[in-house]
Amino acid sequence: MREERKATAQGARRQAVSEAKRRRMGFLWTGTWILVLVLQSSPVQAFPKPGGSQDKPLHNSELSAERPLNEQIAEAEADKIKKTYPPENKPGESNYSFVDNLNLLKAITEKEKVEKERQSIRSSPDDNKLNVEDVDSTKNRRLIDDYDSTKSGLNHKFQDDPDGLHQLDGTPLTAEDIVQKIATRIYEENDRGVFDKIVSKLLNLGLITESQAHTLEDEVAEVLQKLISKEANTYEEEPNKPISVTESQTGKIPEKVTPMAAIQDGFTNGQNDETVSNTLTLTNGLERRTKIYNEDNFEELQYFPNFYALLKSIDSEKEAKEKETLITIMKTLIDFVKMMVKYGTISPEEGVSYLENLDETIALQTKNKLEKNVTDNKSKLFPAPSEKSHEETDSTKEEAAKMEKEYGALKDSTKADNPRGKTDEPKGKTEAYLEAIRKNIEWLKKHDKKGNKEDYDLSKMRDFINQQADAYVEKGILDKEEADAIKRIYSSL
Amino acid sequence: MAARGGRALLALCGALAACGWLLGAQAQEPGAPAAGMRRRRRLQQEDGISFEYHRYPELREALVSVWLQCTAISRIYTVGRSFEGRELLVIELSDNPGVHEPGEPEFKYIGNMHGNEAVGRELLIFLAQYLCNEYQKGNDTIVKLIHNTRIHIMPSLNPDGFEKAASQPGELKDWFVGRSNAQGIDLNRNFPDLDRIVYVNEKEGGPNNHLLKNLKKIVDQNTKLAPETKAVIHWIMDIPFVLSANLHGGDLVANYPYDETRSGSAHEYSSCPDDAIFQSLARAYSAFNPPMSDPNRPPCRKNDDDSSFIDGTTNGAAWYSVPGGMQDFNYLSSNCFEITVELSCEKFPPEETLKSYWEDNKNSLISYLEQIHRGVKGFVRDLQGNPIANATISVEGIDHDVTSAKDGDYWRLLVPGNYKLTASAPGYLAITKKVAVPYSPAVGVDFELESFSERKEVEKEELMEWWKMMSETLNF
Repeated sequence: MREERKATAQGARRQAVSEAKRRRMGFLWTGTWILVLVLQSSPVQAFPKPGGSQDKPLHNSELSAERPLNEQIAEAEADKIKKTYPPENKPGESNYSFVDNLNLLKAITEKEKVEKERQSIRSSPDDNKLNVEDVDSTKNRRLIDDYDSTKSGLNHKFQDDPDGLHQLDGTPLTAEDIVQKIATRIYEENDRGVFDKIVSKLLNLGLITESQAHTLEDEVAEVLQKLISKEANTYEEEPNKPISVTESQTGKIPEKVTPMAAIQDGFTNGQNDETVSNTLTLTNGLERRTKIYNEDNFEELQYFPNFYALLKSIDSEKEAKEKETLITIMKTLIDFVKMMVKYGTISPEEGVSYLENLDETIALQTKNKLEKNVTDNKSKLFPAPSEKSHEETDSTKEEAAKMEKEYGALKDSTKADNPRGKTDEPKGKTEAYLEAIRKNIEWLKKHDKKGNKEDYDLSKMRDFINQQADAYVEKGILDKEEADAIKRIYSSL
Repeated sequence: MAARGGRALLALCGALAACGWLLGAQAQEPGAPAAGMRRRRRLQQEDGISFEYHRYPELREALVSVWLQCTAISRIYTVGRSFEGRELLVIELSDNPGVHEPGEPEFKYIGNMHGNEAVGRELLIFLAQYLCNEYQKGNDTIVKLIHNTRIHIMPSLNPDGFEKAASQPGELKDWFVGRSNAQGIDLNRNFPDLDRIVYVNEKEGGPNNHLLKNLKKIVDQNTKLAPETKAVIHWIMDIPFVLSANLHGGDLVANYPYDETRSGSAHEYSSCPDDAIFQSLARAYSAFNPPMSDPNRPPCRKNDDDSSFIDGTTNGAAWYSVPGGMQDFNYLSSNCFEITVELSCEKFPPEETLKSYWEDNKNSLISYLEQIHRGVKGFVRDLQGNPIANATISVEGIDHDVTSAKDGDYWRLLVPGNYKLTASAPGYLAITKKVAVPYSPAVGVDFELESFSERKEVEKEELMEWWKMMSETLNF
């Protein structure tokens, strides 16, 4: 048999080749095993010890760039649970943070509290603890996390706060709380520039003077300072906030609450998405925006009693221009708020509270200017600056200085000069996202010639975005609120 | 409807101060407040690229913005978390994000591995935005790149270190603060030292590629590896990267393997088997960076020894020996060729200089990206057309082999010349082919390998036929 095989020249050659190859490989096998012995005896500092086999490493068979998203997510979750979150922290709780938070979140979403969620999808053990405390307290306290974020877990999300702008028992927030909330927002957002823009607008319109503006700023700064210093304490106490509270304010409260409650009822009637417009009792009147405001305005502005009163008090002949301006401002603001609510950037309650604040401010300041009188109607939110006692003014400045120092310690100072907070552009992240989405849609429209109906493409896009946004939230790439905002923007297109 | 609403919205934003406040009232990042008052944002803006330092929240936002603008060609993912829990974010740009298309090479940029070397981090953020913008503008080069490559950009491998560095008060940043990760580990000395192994193998025989065995187990069980290091190792093993660059700061040069000296001395040119292509790759970066390639540029610091720099490039070990670096780890544990680019004499320069760093580097970054489409590429399949993964592709005269990926696809970067390529796999007969390689584009060479068993079958058949013939002839 052997001889006959060799006789076939072709076969023999092939045989020889393969045999030679096998011999070579055999030799290599031996060689590498010898190598292994040699290397194991020598003090190689390398890591790891070479196995020396011809096997290709396992990794090549694990090329998994295109693993389905689910798998990747599942693995990421598994890794997460295994490595970073040791089970010593009650598996029940980590389950809570992943699954239950999600469910809770969804449930709450339907109650239109979504924007205010600071869900911790992937919360750390610390977050879980704080979560419990937070639910117990009647207020929304997240400043501790904010404040200490330099230390650890920049990623830890805010706590579950189903309350949003309501107390636990459902009563609407008082004006004080609104102030607190606004100051909190400023603090959290760290965007003083927005406040400054408003002030500069008011200045431009001549509604307040420079010094009043400065004092205003101090007041807000003081509130912020108080927030920082009081974050450890509970919130329920003293009605005596740094902002002066006078008897006249208490008289105003019922006045404010009534329209606010009325508006809020209107706001909270429906779901918080693109159908918000249906729930706004104001929207019907405001849908049609005309240049001529004289006829329409009072009916829409009935919810702003101060402003209304102010308008009435303005002598139409002498101050016609100013009256026009004021009316224009209010109308535009109302429109804008409506749109923001519609797009879901803010909740209805926030919109209402903002408008009420503004109402107060404008009314107050204009009154001051026009009448040049000391007013008793101190706004709860922005006390009339010139009327404040000097001690308070001084203390505000002190507080502001203290706050600056604290910020100084914390702030990012990659720039040599101090942050010029006053001229910060208010362009926030949301606007950047909006701009990006706009560019995307534009480009898609240009390049997606297939679908005649824009709706069809957009609905596919919407689904894709929804899915991606959710996936990103799970992976910690997006905040829940960001994802929801993005989803809302797309669904409203 | 959408456009109208959006435009009206934006118009109002511009017009009213109130919008700013309300926007500010939107729920925000958990980590941001610690940074104190927001600094001047949009310092200098150009087409969505803001030339300012991005802290972790801003980094994330910037990447999300790019994704939102270019959802069709981008995807954000994370390879893991830093020690302090920050995601190691990557943005991927390709015409089919999330998917490895067979034959499409994979590229990565990694920046800010030393947290206080900040320019790379920022450049990569700018680059992501730039690629998205240019793609939408129809820039041919960029469109082709994105359609034919899968580009992964990780702006920061050490976000913890960066936060530390960036939080320093004042203008001057320390040379060391923030360099290592939160555990104090220098990530670029933390990788398994495969150089030593390959040096031994050179002398005594042994594999010349993929030297890290029993990978997953060893990596996960090794307590000395930082989480960032582990994440990158897994990343390298999961995706068949072909070309990569690792961005640093503190000098101005493109550095290529090997980083560790053979003899153990402090400086010694230690070439790797692919020295020729590495020099070409490094030059492809430095040539487009005017200060880097300026032969008359004085060294960054008066007493610096830049005698090893040629045309803005240097062999790593010739400059100074670095053991445990990521660059060599790539080369010796995977198919990926990586160089290290030092982008700036100052590790953490003032924010105002970022724009000029971008101008100096943007052409280099694109040019280097294009280098991936060089040499030889193709598929290794069996006779039935099924892909053969983990096949070895060796080049005669170069003692470094590459392997085929899951779909049987391989890429072999080579400088122009004539080569003999051999594809082999366990259980298959090797095949050698001659190839003439130009500067670019890559030459396509496919292999169809015959397995031993097929060979045996064929020979058996021949045998049977011969036997039949014999028996007929001899009347068995």
